[in-house]
Amino acid sequence: MHIDIDRGRCEGYGVCVQSAPDLFDLDDEGDPVILRADVDGDLTDAAALAERSCPMQAVQTT
Amino acid sequence: MTTTEASRSTYSTDLDLFSDEVLLDPFPHYRHLRDLAPVVYLSKYDLFGLFRYDQVRTALNDWETFSSAQGVALNPIANEAWKDSILCMDPPRHRTIRKVFDDALRPKFVRKVAGDLDVQAHEIVDELLAQGEFDGVTDFAHRLPVNVVMDLVGFPRDENRKKILGWAEGSFNFAGPLGDRQTASLPGAQAQLEYLINNASVDKLLPDSFGRVVYGAAEKGEITQEEAVTMMIGYANAGLDTTINAVAATLWLLAVNPDQWQAVRDDHKLVPSAFLEGIRMESPAQFFSRVTTRDVEIEGITIPEGSRVLHSYGSANRDERHYPDPDRFDAARNPVDTMAFDNGVHTCPGRTLASMEGHALFKALAEKVSSIELVEAPTWIPNSITRGPSTYRVRIS
Ligand code: HEM
Ligand code: SF4
Repeated sequence: MHIDIDRGRCEGYGVCVQSAPDLFDLDDEGDPVILRADVDGDLTDAAALAERSCPMQAVQTT
Repeated sequence: MTTTEASRSTYSTDLDLFSDEVLLDPFPHYRHLRDLAPVVYLSKYDLFGLFRYDQVRTALNDWETFSSAQGVALNPIANEAWKDSILCMDPPRHRTIRKVFDDALRPKFVRKVAGDLDVQAHEIVDELLAQGEFDGVTDFAHRLPVNVVMDLVGFPRDENRKKILGWAEGSFNFAGPLGDRQTASLPGAQAQLEYLINNASVDKLLPDSFGRVVYGAAEKGEITQEEAVTMMIGYANAGLDTTINAVAATLWLLAVNPDQWQAVRDDHKLVPSAFLEGIRMESPAQFFSRVTTRDVEIEGITIPEGSRVLHSYGSANRDERHYPDPDRFDAARNPVDTMAFDNGVHTCPGRTLASMEGHALFKALAEKVSSIELVEAPTWIPNSITRGPSTYRVRIS
């Protein structure tokens, strides 16, 4: 599974970090950073939760 | 005509959702409304209502159909008074104003103004530990949100801050359906407006505060003077009661679920999850509403264009179709997809700030406190929009 953030939608709320701390972090500016863009196994659940939880629908998985 | 009426009877209810009795214990009623239909019609208030998680979420993510531009309150007086507030706008106008809020609520800005939240949280916990027994709402939940939000907005550090808190509490009833509770909120709303105009003019506000930014934007012509005043009210009202209710509810839930408190103490990494779980269970904001811009069909039920549609965050967050065993406080649930902060373009910009405050307080507790004991059960004052205990006593050691 591949993870992407649509920067045009993202507002930096950091809900993705709270959903999946192994996959996302916030940089000093408060913008999210993807720690691992390609995941499998249990981490796909975490990625799916982040996708569902982002209030701006900015997290996308394919 | 007859056919429409006949079909409406299958999803219509005459339940008085805003009676004191229902507001004091809404959750069994929500369950009944969720089971009734995916969309219900509240005949007493001429409102359509969304009570299931999926329907609430879908509506909130579709502002073009479920518009905020005719207000989100449940009476025409509040919708008129709030028409310049960010809550009551759709994009693209919403976008311009929202940027001011988003920038002012980024963690970087908040840290600069609020100082070290962890230090403040430890001070509060140390004091209460020495005291032993205290009021979970006024002694614990009030302090950090009041300090932080008032400093961020820039209200002068004087005795008026107590009054601001009182006005904020009443302000949500102002948005409820017309009736005694709404009428009783009017003098407070007026007093708040007068305070802002007379005592919180730009020269009196704390330096570097959100208030200065807002009035600065008005001076530059980016927003109007009226929008600036409405923004100040919005910020104070939106940020105080909600966070206080969230903190007060979570402490209470931890007190009555000692095994869950033990789990948090064993693993402090559960603090964010436990705070979010308190927010999911009790939903500090229970409802707002939108107006449909076209006929909308939801699973065979048509909501006509121009209808006011209530969405219940409180019920969505307890929907067994989405959260297994929804009435159980599970400190490890981590319900990051909660509807408590709304979703889509109006999603709460204060979520990060509220979380920073909650995490600081419960982390300090987890580090220093082994037991939280309920001494006196909470009392609740019915509010048309918000939910939270008004007082309860706990003992910590
Ligand atoms: C646990 C605490 C909080 C909860 C549960 C909460 C809940 C909500 C909800 C449900 C909305 C959406 C209303 C609607 O769309 O009709 C909202 C919007 C808003 N909240 Fe919060 N809130 C909290 C804390 C805060 C804080 C701390 C602040 C700021 C200091 C804040 C500022 C705002 C603002 C400005 C809006 C309007 C956003 C817009 O319309 O675009 N909130 N909040
Ligand atoms: S949750 Fe969504 S909006 Fe928030 S930082 Fe992550 S991607 Fe951006």
